[in-house]
Amino acid sequence: MKAVKAMAGRWSAGIWQGALAVLLLAALGAGPADAQDKQVLVLGVDISDSRNFDPARMSDYSSPITNAAVYDRLLNQAPGKYEEVEPSLATEWERLDDGSRIRFKLRDDVKFWDGTPMTAEDVKFSFDRLLNVKDQPAVYASNLAGTEVVDEHTVDLLVKDPNVPIMINLAAPAFAIYSKAMTEANGGVSGPDAETQDTATQWINQNSAGSGPYHMVQWERNAQIVMQKNPYYWGGEVPFERVVIRHIGDSAAQLLALENGDIDAAFNLTTEQLATLEGNEEININSGLSLDYVYMALTTSAELNEGLAKLENRLAFAHSIDYDGIIEHLMGGNAVRPVNFLPIGVGGSTEELTEKIGYREDLDKAKELLEQAGNPDGFAFDLSYANAAIVGTSYQLLAQKIQSDAARVGIQVNLDPIDQVNLRTQYTGGHSQSVITFWNPPSPEPDLWAAASIERVAKRVRWEPSEEIKQTVKAAAAEQDPATRNELYTEYTQMLQDMGTYILLFQPIYRIATRNSIEDFELTAAGWQVEMAKIKPAS
Amino acid sequence: MIVMIVLATLVVFLIATQVPADPILAQLGDMQAADEELVAAYRARWGLDLPIWQQYWIFLSGLVQGDFGVSISSQRPVLADIAQYAPATIELSTVAFLLSVLVGVPLGVLAAVRRDSWIDHLARLLSLIGVSAPTFWLAFIFLALFYGGLQIAPGPGRLDVIYLPPPTVTGLYLVDSALAGQWDVFRNAAAHLVLPSIVLAATTLGLITRTTRAAMLEALHQDYVRVARAKGLKERTIVVRHALRNALIPVVTLGGLAYAVLLSGTVLTETIFSWPGLGRYTFRSAVTLDFPAIMGITFIVAVVYLVINLIVDLSYALLDPRAARK
Repeated sequence: MKAVKAMAGRWSAGIWQGALAVLLLAALGAGPADAQDKQVLVLGVDISDSRNFDPARMSDYSSPITNAAVYDRLLNQAPGKYEEVEPSLATEWERLDDGSRIRFKLRDDVKFWDGTPMTAEDVKFSFDRLLNVKDQPAVYASNLAGTEVVDEHTVDLLVKDPNVPIMINLAAPAFAIYSKAMTEANGGVSGPDAETQDTATQWINQNSAGSGPYHMVQWERNAQIVMQKNPYYWGGEVPFERVVIRHIGDSAAQLLALENGDIDAAFNLTTEQLATLEGNEEININSGLSLDYVYMALTTSAELNEGLAKLENRLAFAHSIDYDGIIEHLMGGNAVRPVNFLPIGVGGSTEELTEKIGYREDLDKAKELLEQAGNPDGFAFDLSYANAAIVGTSYQLLAQKIQSDAARVGIQVNLDPIDQVNLRTQYTGGHSQSVITFWNPPSPEPDLWAAASIERVAKRVRWEPSEEIKQTVKAAAAEQDPATRNELYTEYTQMLQDMGTYILLFQPIYRIATRNSIEDFELTAAGWQVEMAKIKPAS
Repeated sequence: MIVMIVLATLVVFLIATQVPADPILAQLGDMQAADEELVAAYRARWGLDLPIWQQYWIFLSGLVQGDFGVSISSQRPVLADIAQYAPATIELSTVAFLLSVLVGVPLGVLAAVRRDSWIDHLARLLSLIGVSAPTFWLAFIFLALFYGGLQIAPGPGRLDVIYLPPPTVTGLYLVDSALAGQWDVFRNAAAHLVLPSIVLAATTLGLITRTTRAAMLEALHQDYVRVARAKGLKERTIVVRHALRNALIPVVTLGGLAYAVLLSGTVLTETIFSWPGLGRYTFRSAVTLDFPAIMGITFIVAVVYLVINLIVDLSYALLDPRAARK
């Protein structure tokens, strides 16, 4: 037995030596991250949703961050000014032929990243391809009839209905202008057969074909996107040699990477995580009001729920919710609340208007309404929501808060958490009694929200909107004078409030933490989250 | 074996198609989902408008020709997607597996040979922690401690930002960088593997240690060990050649299964370490009901399990001559 022990002793010594060697090796390689060269901007973002970067096909939340940095559009929108457009590749524009033709003058000093000049042919190619590839973004261009080249630096857009707004959409990522030559050389087709013949997407996904400050050199799915500076950029010297968007899906890992200096910006931190950074001198917290919001939709169908089918009951429920408590406690104060379907910042929607005509917590009024409905003891309904979180707050928590709020007036909310695809199928099909869900606009054009609320979303709650509200929305969309238009939108909003089918809960303020190694980090709600071209190394 | 694979895909297919959710709606934006023409075009493109049996037939006939179909989500061939994500997972799982075997087996042997000594207690403690600590918790604690706190380990991802991946040959960064002679990339890739592979190895390490210990204890009390000792053989020879060889059979069975589990079950570790592997791909495909991708992965996982089982069966013959004779 003694021999065994001796043997084991020698053995274990060997093992520990081995283990030590392994650890040493690991430690040697695993030194702290090398000092960041400030030629490179590194952003930590959850990009797991990105499926492609082709302007004619993309439809995801995170891909516009990259696309806005590698492509320009004819028009642009400055952060916070979502009611107006400003020149970008187009310098001026005018409406001809009763508004059905819009003539754009193009800049003559724009070059794509390969050094070739941008001309009207490229604009035509980009828009034709958008329409003919017939993938998701084509829906935003449904009012576009075609594009005609006038001369090298003049191009006409033909619109089907001059009363349907289009200018703000032209600033959206789907309307990016890219090089005809580069795209065609890599399988791009813009003709009527593009739907089946176009094969450029895989190339565009890795290289991009635009005139923006950077151009893509690599996209490794679920890992990183690498962009290189465009030496021919028309907007002046580009601040970084390279931009790397690093995929970090877990927010806690993002926080660590930011604190360690491995990334310059963390896009997906939760309220609690941001709170731990307050007072940290190396970190800035940049905030910007989004145009996204979380809302509830209540059915009007007696088949689905007899209680909710009664207008007074829906309004009673709307008056039972502690809106301020949701924003203060669940969102840490980092949110605002619009009145109804138009978020604050567009169509005359403001916080003051919410004060005036928004639903407010009023339990007596809620009880009164219940009595009017003939349900003095309340009623019950099912509330469906996804097993997911929004800005770090789970829908579950939100639903529980609403459940306990409504219980105070006798309304019983039964919680029904389901997976996202299931929820989408049920809600879109009009089979949900009520839902809590999220709205993210493709572009800040007010008509996109207003039309949705009385068309496809109205179908989901089985509401048949009146002619009056339909006419109001139509008139607002066609109205050129901003003040009159906003008045019309306010009228429309009041009509929605009277229906009680949609209840707006909050519109989050997005917050992105950056290191003080960079500056001029400006957030935008126009669709691409951050003005990448402006970010500079700290001076 | 082929029957097993077909059965596995059939079961997954039936379950996936019975979920009361529409995979097309998972892919389309809100405005697009209301565009009937676009929805119909998407449905037709993936054959989702066909009867279920026909959809399954299309899948099977494609499979025979090595065609897994096109993913609804990435709109690329499923095989291309899998080929892209698999190397990251294979690299991580293999390192984790080697780690659990190279540490687990010797530790188990030592624990058995020196029963109730400090090393036995240590082995028991380690395997208890490994088996019972939740992976996501362990992953995060490791990251917070070694990356956040002590700053001796690199952060999430396969490489630091300053390195570009080596030219792709196998997709395994360790192999590719060595082939290209890029030793700085090799070192960085190895460093990035340390934390996730330890986390991933924890569970299997625990199991392998415990199984080895139990099997060794049993083997050491067999008559042939007593005979060997009576013959005056060296203790080392007895432990390694007589006891261990016999004790290895259950360990090999377990190890094979453990490797298969590692290859197919790394979602949590991959999420926390932002590892662009198959686990995340599987998870996303499942939550968006990406049928072609789900079916492709099922097929691959079924094949992996069957192949590993085959290897395990064959290795019995090496360890136990009686099995070979049968």
